[in-house]
Amino acid sequence: MVTYIIRRLIWAVVMLTIVSIITFGIFFLVPRLAGATSESLAARYVGRTASAEQVKIAADKLGFNDPLIVQYGRFAKGIVAGADYDYGPGVEHCPAPCFGYSFLTRLPVWPDLMDRLPVTLSLAIGAAVIWVIAGVATGVLSALRRGSLFDRAAMGVALAGVSLPIFFTGIVSLVVFSYGTPFRITAPGGSFTPFDENPAMWAYNLILPWITLAFLYAAGYARLTRAGMLETMNEDYIRTARAKGLSERRVVVKHGLRGALTPILTIFGLDLGLLLGGAVLTESTYSLPGMGKYAIDAITNQDLPKVMGVTLVAAFFVVFANLIVDLLYAVVDPRVRLG
Amino acid sequence: MQIRRLGVAATGAVLALAVAACGGGSGSSTPSSSGGAAAGANATGEFNAALTGVVNPSDKKGGILKFANGGDWDSLDPGDTYYGYSWNFIRLYGRSLLMFKSAVGKEGNQLAPDLAEDLGTPSDDAKTWTYKLKKGIKFEDGTPVTSKDVKYAVERSFDKEVFPDGYTYFNDFLDWPKDYKGAYKSKDVNTDSAIETPDDYTIVFHLKQPLSNFDYFAQLPATIPVPKDKDTGAKYKEHIISTGPYKFEKNEIGKGFTLVRNDQWDAATDPNRKALPDGYEVSTNVNADDIDNRIIAGDLDVDVAGIGVQSAALGRVLPDPAMKANSDNPTSTRLWYTSINGNVAPLDNIDCRKAVQYATDKVALQTAWGGEFSGGQIATSLLPPAIPGHEDFNLYPPGADNKGDLDKAKEALTACGQPGGFETNISYRAERPKEKQAAEALQQSLGRVGIKLTLKPFPQADYFALYAGKPGYAKDNKIGLAMNGWQSDWPDGFGFLQQIVDSRVIRDTGGSSNISVRDPEVDKLIDQAMKETDTDARNAIWTQIDKKVMEDSFILPNVWTKTLLVRSKNATNIFVNDAYGMYDYLGMGVK
Amino acid sequence: MTAPMDVTGGDTQATPAVVEGAGGQAIQGRSLGQIAWMRLKRDKVALAGGLIVIFLILVAVFAPVIAGAFGQDPTQFNSDLIDSSTMAPKTGTGISADHLFGIEPVNGRDIFSRVVYGARISLLIAFLATLLSVVIGTLLGVTAGYFGGLVDSIISKAMDVFLAFPILVFAIALAGIVPDTAFGLTGDTLRVSLLVFIIGFFNWPYIGRIIRGQTLSLREREFVDAARSLGARGPYIIFRELLPNLVAPILIYSTLLIPTNVLFEAALSFLGVGVRPPTPTWGGMLSDAVRFYTIPHFMFFPGMAIFITVLAFNLFGDGLRDALDPKAR
Repeated sequence: MVTYIIRRLIWAVVMLTIVSIITFGIFFLVPRLAGATSESLAARYVGRTASAEQVKIAADKLGFNDPLIVQYGRFAKGIVAGADYDYGPGVEHCPAPCFGYSFLTRLPVWPDLMDRLPVTLSLAIGAAVIWVIAGVATGVLSALRRGSLFDRAAMGVALAGVSLPIFFTGIVSLVVFSYGTPFRITAPGGSFTPFDENPAMWAYNLILPWITLAFLYAAGYARLTRAGMLETMNEDYIRTARAKGLSERRVVVKHGLRGALTPILTIFGLDLGLLLGGAVLTESTYSLPGMGKYAIDAITNQDLPKVMGVTLVAAFFVVFANLIVDLLYAVVDPRVRLG
Repeated sequence: MQIRRLGVAATGAVLALAVAACGGGSGSSTPSSSGGAAAGANATGEFNAALTGVVNPSDKKGGILKFANGGDWDSLDPGDTYYGYSWNFIRLYGRSLLMFKSAVGKEGNQLAPDLAEDLGTPSDDAKTWTYKLKKGIKFEDGTPVTSKDVKYAVERSFDKEVFPDGYTYFNDFLDWPKDYKGAYKSKDVNTDSAIETPDDYTIVFHLKQPLSNFDYFAQLPATIPVPKDKDTGAKYKEHIISTGPYKFEKNEIGKGFTLVRNDQWDAATDPNRKALPDGYEVSTNVNADDIDNRIIAGDLDVDVAGIGVQSAALGRVLPDPAMKANSDNPTSTRLWYTSINGNVAPLDNIDCRKAVQYATDKVALQTAWGGEFSGGQIATSLLPPAIPGHEDFNLYPPGADNKGDLDKAKEALTACGQPGGFETNISYRAERPKEKQAAEALQQSLGRVGIKLTLKPFPQADYFALYAGKPGYAKDNKIGLAMNGWQSDWPDGFGFLQQIVDSRVIRDTGGSSNISVRDPEVDKLIDQAMKETDTDARNAIWTQIDKKVMEDSFILPNVWTKTLLVRSKNATNIFVNDAYGMYDYLGMGVK
Repeated sequence: MTAPMDVTGGDTQATPAVVEGAGGQAIQGRSLGQIAWMRLKRDKVALAGGLIVIFLILVAVFAPVIAGAFGQDPTQFNSDLIDSSTMAPKTGTGISADHLFGIEPVNGRDIFSRVVYGARISLLIAFLATLLSVVIGTLLGVTAGYFGGLVDSIISKAMDVFLAFPILVFAIALAGIVPDTAFGLTGDTLRVSLLVFIIGFFNWPYIGRIIRGQTLSLREREFVDAARSLGARGPYIIFRELLPNLVAPILIYSTLLIPTNVLFEAALSFLGVGVRPPTPTWGGMLSDAVRFYTIPHFMFFPGMAIFITVLAFNLFGDGLRDALDPKAR
């Protein structure tokens, strides 16, 4: 087991390194393919009135003329050991883990991201609680009453749920429930109150994005749970359990659900990992200042250090979630460790 | 003033829309009311009442005013801010040498001494300007403000690497030592050739050339004193040392800040500020539609950007008589226009440029900018009506209904040797839906005579520095037309025209707002105007410049902007100050 | 990654059953297609989905004819129908015999013809991107599954890396950074190719994993062994023995990938990095409509267009899977 964990950890680190290299490479190469030069990249950081000579100096100072590998090395070193950035009048120290330094806002990226993380965490976890409960419950009930009116209605709604773009449901929900026409039952987008500041306001501000996001996922989970339940309920061991005279409830909960939930767990881990890296569409629809919104804003302003930073942190969450899921599996199913 | 870099909230996609920032300059031709804020008529409950009088006048102190911003400040640093709303707001926490009066309508255009005892005293043919400072003015930590703090503030603002958002008036006009790089990089350089401080309460500016309107420079926020030992360069915006009646309590860049009373501010030194509320709560990057709805509902007092309501709220406010009566529709000194780049063939031919003028459907453009209430008045020349020197003329009447004169346009195309039309590109700022709409309207109307436009959106942060405003890029990529906008930095011809028609501000490295006007004659006229000390004669030259640029057809004027502002339900002393074209933030109190 | 990871991607959990079911039926002498068609015919909901899909494709192909029948052009302004103070259509929605879905505020463009033309971009990109994912995914998936060993572990790890990318962020960043003329292309052609590439390229691991899993189980089956013992080499086995048996899962997951890609394209257009205006796209229309939420018909029609398209493909894809895989029912 220990060797397995170590092996997985090493692979996770390797994977993040590969992701960072590819990301860095793409964001290094594509602007140049698009016709940007070191000077034009640097021009963005020195103001509108800079002379050609100033721009050249800035390009050198910022290291835009160094080869890709050197620039990447500097970046990687910054993550581990911190970095210093010369921003004009002084030198800014960007402490480890330094995920880059935005020359547009003159701030290191990492604290910015940590600032945004609570928003994304709140959004993702709150929504996850709702969608897991709602999705699994609906799926189980549908499976048990297969073919019933409830089953068909629930699956119809679920299918509609996975077919609706979140930016559409999001806007409709804002217009209907928040912009004052016709009901105003919750706060509009753009506001976030930290949980430790005021839990009631925290929930009030997030309830609409939670429900909208949860609806999308709950729909998928309901479909999955139902399919999983139907499959496991046909398995031999369920028949055995029934034959042993266990109560139907016990059969469903103890044996059926457990079997059906295993794939759900995997998907849940991955979904959550992806969401923690920034629920881009939800956050931008509701103007929530989370990591996804941060990514969009950074992209809009073509602030590449920020885009890099947010991409890597998002990748970290996915890899981390994968790792957790794998380890959990190894605990549940010893065969995995050997495989 | 240039409208640029609107911060993070502005992606084309999100509910918070691109908010064109900036306000300023003088407003509509409303009669000026007498005697400042409190003296205006109480005209509650009428559309446009706050243009000519004070709505809900009161001297009651206390309460908190709630402001929100759909985007974010370019910077709160007095040396680095170039948004009109910021100049309006900065008077709460900073005192410059001079300031615009906190008064209704046109009276707000008048300069009043703030740090200074009086307006500037020119000498040496208006090449030297002297200001005497009041005594007893202190920073929020109790240190007295001296002329050296003002000098330092101007010197630090020189460094555009540290302060990329700011203007360059002081850089360009003061007689700085050769190779001067600003307070940070040229620490020990003697700058007496530009600014002298013979004693702690006198400051003398030396200019390279005569400038009859230097007093407008002296009201710029860059003259707000900054204590050298507290200056942290680019980070100063996080901890600004106040000289005004309010100081920063909490400042979270990107989210918002709160202002509380500054106990070191002495009302006796300050006849211009009433300082009624106990404080201000300001949130930034708030959903723009939500700002409108909350102001209408009374949960919020002011949309600090002052650019008027979004399209959705427009449809709610205008048709409802009660809501309309609680709103105002000031005209600002902003012109939205399209630059016609004579460096891009076939627009290097004047007749092709004229064809663009004739073929344009100005009504469609007006609607694209937001219609007659939140878009503006159809513009036929550059100088907005409220700026002295404006004259009504229309060299290219686009038909009787303003929808384009296609016959004339085709004639011009034939004269240009392109009878079937031609192809070119039109650029706009991607985050600004209204610029996109205007570009689409042009695409549609020019298409009628065979001029085929391709839309080119660019990120607004780099629009001037790297794309439309960079001559090499614009030429290589055939950006023949570019959406553009300009707002007067102060209400005179110089403040409006100089930055957008003087070809000498165009740099190969990009970044200038003038991206199309290249006419040596215009440059000559500008030099004349700056030397001319007689106001009327000077204004006549600005009129001449306006006409010359229009004859050259380097600019296609779209609209002179109007905005629809909704009054707060809880605030007192609501009035529009023409200097900013929006509500005056200094006068407002809480009911 | 190990076995459990093969079960990602929403609806993909029951995959191994597909081929077993299909193979088992084949022994009875009926082709997979015949059986599937029989089952599909009985599934009314899936058939409805399929019919809507066909209808949508026809709409996309004949967009100019359909819009032309009402005398409309998707980029034509109708400024005279717009109230110049509020920018709203004069009659509220502008719905009339000429403008079935009403008109857009500000410029008065016909919403019906824009929605109809929007189907072109949406379906074109979704189909091509799916094709790209399927080609890459199948090639690499089969290669990994068939050869195993080092090849398999390299390809599998590559899939892991791809799946770890925050793909939406990446897609937006790339689509936003590429200039208007690049790779010798320009205009709509460039944007469409770019979007196809971005969407297709980042989605291949989903298909790739499924195909790899299928190949792994097929590889061990008797008919492959038989072919091998008769002296068949790798390429022959892959193309003649494995691929024909992979048609079913490929078909199913292509059908289910299309709606995901429709949503993806809509999201990119919504965020302003899709095909450039004035070419109408559903996502682009929605993003314009957000500012005019008091004029609800503007967001309703493009929103419903996306919804119906995605729903139809999902219904059809579900039905197809059920038809090809009886065990999942």
